[in-house]
Amino acid sequence: MTRKWLRWLPAVAVPAVIAAGALAGSLPASAGDPLPPKTPEQVLQLIAQHREPALSGTLEQSSELGLPELPKTSAGSDSSSTAWLELLTGPHTARVYRDGPDNARIQVMDRLAERNAVRHGNEVWFYNSKDNTASHVQLPAGAADHHGDGRDATATPDQLAAVLLAKIEPGTDVTVGADVQVAGRAAYNLVLTPKSDATLVGSIAVAVDGQTGLPLGVEIKARGQSDPAFRVTYTSLTLGAPDAAVFTFSPPPGATVKEIPVTVPERKHGKDSGNATAPAAKDSTRKPAVTGSGWDSVAVFPAGTAGPASDATAPALLGQATVPVQGGRLLSTALVNVLVLDDGRVVAGSVPVERLQAAAAQK
Amino acid sequence: MLCALAAIPVLIAVAVRVSSAVPPGRGPAFLDRIAQNGLFVGVTAMVVSVPLFLPLTVGVVAGDTIAGEAGQGTLRYLLVGPAGRIRLLIVKYAGTAVFVVVAPLVVALTGAGIGAALFPVGPVTLLSGDTIDPGEAVVRLLLIAAYLAVSLLGLSAIGLFVSTLTDVPVGAMAATVVLSVVAQVLDALPQLEWLHPWLFSHYWLDFGDLLRQPVSWDSFVGNALLQGGYIAAFGALAYGRFITKDVLS
Repeated sequence: MTRKWLRWLPAVAVPAVIAAGALAGSLPASAGDPLPPKTPEQVLQLIAQHREPALSGTLEQSSELGLPELPKTSAGSDSSSTAWLELLTGPHTARVYRDGPDNARIQVMDRLAERNAVRHGNEVWFYNSKDNTASHVQLPAGAADHHGDGRDATATPDQLAAVLLAKIEPGTDVTVGADVQVAGRAAYNLVLTPKSDATLVGSIAVAVDGQTGLPLGVEIKARGQSDPAFRVTYTSLTLGAPDAAVFTFSPPPGATVKEIPVTVPERKHGKDSGNATAPAAKDSTRKPAVTGSGWDSVAVFPAGTAGPASDATAPALLGQATVPVQGGRLLSTALVNVLVLDDGRVVAGSVPVERLQAAAAQK
Repeated sequence: MLCALAAIPVLIAVAVRVSSAVPPGRGPAFLDRIAQNGLFVGVTAMVVSVPLFLPLTVGVVAGDTIAGEAGQGTLRYLLVGPAGRIRLLIVKYAGTAVFVVVAPLVVALTGAGIGAALFPVGPVTLLSGDTIDPGEAVVRLLLIAAYLAVSLLGLSAIGLFVSTLTDVPVGAMAATVVLSVVAQVLDALPQLEWLHPWLFSHYWLDFGDLLRQPVSWDSFVGNALLQGGYIAAFGALAYGRFITKDVLS
C-alpha cells in the first residue's frame, strides 16, 4: 500500500513546485539599489529636467471608475465616441514608441484589433483596425517647436518645480513615499494627497524614474477604495531610439481615409491623464463658472456647451450610464461626478453629489 | 477529423465568395478582409475554430489515448510487452502532440490555399495598419499555427489525464471538451478576474499579437509558460494515476 502511494509522489510534487514557482514570481521584486533620498521638490525637479528621451515600452492601464463596462468584442458598429469611452473602462495594454518630440507612436492593443496613433514630423495618423479606417491630420508647420522647447526656455527645472510646488502645496500634502519598482526600474514615488475631505480623490501617486526623471506611472486612488480607480504604468521600458520604420505610416490599401482639417493647433495628448480631475479647464469658448477652490472645486457649464451632447450616439449612451437624481441625471464615477441638469446646464466636480446639487442650486 | 477541420476555411471562403461584400466590423474578425486578400481566409478560419472546433478534435484525440485502448480491451496486451507504462504514456502523449501541431496547420494552409484560389492575393494589412508582402504573411500564418499548437498542448495533457481515469473513451472525450468550454466561460466572467491568468484557455485568442508590427511576443511567452505548467502538472497526475492503476481490460 505504501509503495502505491509513493508512486503518486511526483503527481503531487510537480503541481506543488509549479504553484510555489508561480507564487514566488508574482511577489513584487524587492528594490535593488535604494535610490538616494530626495525631497518632493527635488523629485519635481527631476521630472522637470527630463528631456523626452527616445524610448519604447509597454503601458498598462486599468480603471475602476464604476462606469458600466462596455462589451469588448462588440460586433456592432463602433463609433469613435464609444471607442474612446471604452478606453476609460476596463484594462488596456498599449505599446509606446517615442523618439524626440516629433516622432511618436502609440498602439492600443485590443483582442484581435488595434488602434494606432502615429506622429511623424507634422503628420499625424490615426488607424483603427476594427473598421479599417485611417484619419490624417496635417499639423501646421512649427507646431512641434511649441511644446518641446518653449517650456524649457522660459524656466529652469528647479524654478518650475518650485512654482509647481507652490501652486499645489496649499491644498495638497506632497510627500515622497518608499521607492517602487516600475518596469524593472527603481523609481521615486511622489504621493499627492488632497487636504480637503470634500473631494472624491483619495491620493495620486506618480512613479518617477530615479535615473531619467521620466514619469513611469500614475495611480489615482478614490477615497474609500482600496484598488486604484485609475492606473497607467509602464510594464516594460527600453530607453534608446526605436526602429525608425515604426514612425512611418501610410494608410493600408482598402482603408477608408479621412482627412481631418486643423483649425486650432492640436493639443498633444500626452500621458498626463492626471488632469482628468479638472476637465473644466479646457473649455475656452464659454467659460464655466467655478465655485470652490483646489480639489473640491465645482464647475458649472452653461446650457449647450457640453461637448458630448453634439454626438449622435451620446444621448443613448448617456441614458445608460447615468442615473436620475433630483434635478437631473447623474453620471457617477469613482473620481468625478457629472450632473446633467434638466435645464441643460452641466455641473461637474470631483466631489460628492450633494455638493454638485448645492452648486447647481446657487444660481 | 483533419478533413472536418479543413472544411472550415473552405466553407468560409465559399460563403464569402458567393455572398455580397461584408461590412467591416461584422462577424468574426478579419471576415471583411477576405474579399480583398485571400490569405485572410486562413486567419479567419483559425479565429472561428479556436473556441470550439480545435478543442473538440483535440479532446477526441486526447481522450481516446488510454481510455480507447482500455475500452477495446487492448490496453492489457500493450502492457504485457516490455515497453512499460511510462513509455506507453509518453508515446500516447506524443501522438496527441503531433495531432495538435498538424490540426492548426491544416486549417491555416487550407485557408491560405482556398483563399488564394478564390480571391486575389496581395500585400497583407496587419492590425497596426502596416502592410507586409504575401511571403512574410505566410510566415505569420505559420507562426499563428504554432501558437495554437502550443495553446492546445495543455488541453491535450488534461485529456491524457482524464483518459487514464476511465475505461470509457467517449466519457474522457466529452469531459475534456467540456473542461475547455468551462474554462472559456470562466474566462469571460469579469467577476473571476483573479482566476483568468491561470486558465489554460486564457491566451487562446491572443494570437492576434502575432499580427502586429512589430510582433508582440509577450502573449506567446506567457502562453508557452502557462501551457508548460499544465503539461507538467497534468502529465504528473496522469503518470501517478496510470502507474498505480489496476489494468483489468
